[in-house]
Amino acid sequence: MSIKRNICSCCGRPITPYEPAIHFPCPNCGDVTIWRCEACRERGKSYRCLKCEFVGP
Amino acid sequence: MARKKKKSEETQNIEDIQEEKSSLVDFEEDFEDDLDIEEELELLDTEDLSVLGEDKAVVVDKDEEKKNLFLSCGIHIGTKLLTGDARKFIYRQTNYGLYVIDLTETETRLKIAANLLSKFVDEGSDKVIVSSVRRYGKEPVKKFCEALGCKAITTRFIPGSLTNPNIETYIRDASVVVIVDPHADKVILNEAQLARVPVVSLFDTDDSLKGIDLAIPANNRGKKALGLAFWLLAKEISIQLGKISSENDFPYTLEDFTSKIVPLYNKQQSRR
Ligand SMILES: [Zn+2]
Ligand SMILES: [Zn+2]
Repeated sequence: MSIKRNICSCCGRPITPYEPAIHFPCPNCGDVTIWRCEACRERGKSYRCLKCEFVGP
Repeated sequence: MARKKKKSEETQNIEDIQEEKSSLVDFEEDFEDDLDIEEELELLDTEDLSVLGEDKAVVVDKDEEKKNLFLSCGIHIGTKLLTGDARKFIYRQTNYGLYVIDLTETETRLKIAANLLSKFVDEGSDKVIVSSVRRYGKEPVKKFCEALGCKAITTRFIPGSLTNPNIETYIRDASVVVIVDPHADKVILNEAQLARVPVVSLFDTDDSLKGIDLAIPANNRGKKALGLAFWLLAKEISIQLGKISSENDFPYTLEDFTSKIVPLYNKQQSRR
């Protein structure tokens, strides 16, 4: 089994398996999964979609 | 009226006294500072009003019509406070210090929010939780949920409802939470964070993005503004899900989505 970690769409840090991170489809294009680590979400840091460049929240 | 005075004069004393009072009564009364459209329009300067007047006289096309609808509901009317998070959604500041939200941002974000929410509604509408502590948000939230089959929370949110499987009100597998006001709905906002549920929120000029995954810049205190935001959102989601084929087929009117509560301000006026 390969270990492929999801990357926080805000800070670019890999998300560890048991970290309370959140994910949802990009609100704009819907094609990319946005991941946000707990710290970034708590601080309201912006995320960027790698496909459509949408910047949230 | 209380809000206007409180905000314009920013007298700490008044706030202190009001805070004390509200902590003694019901929790929900903390957020009874909703504004009526007439009252809000008073806060705009003449430039805004002349824009309104002109637009009403000549309704040209659909975009113009939509813009007029937005303006007449005051969805662009912010507050006298501006947070760093809200800066990117601002169109300008009026001479009286009121921040005005950029309508194009509101319109774009309503569409984007509809994109996201339609996915969650499609996967299971009863897992989509919509909540409002604000009085004027209750009716729009109820109608939104009636139209799309989502779960409305318009009474007090019981702490643990998203996090504690041992309580009666526990909602299993909530997929997304929609709130009206990050400040007023902070209990459910915090729980959504703990439960790892994405949060979509209306976002006024004095709000913070902490814990929010998608913000829709809009006036979240006004009666008409709240009605309009949820009406447009429900309509757009219905179109995206193929429940209706065009906007005109939406079985609810804007009036249906607007709170029927008569503001204290109007009651006082009619008594005179
Ligand atoms: Zn991060
Ligand atoms: Zn995207």
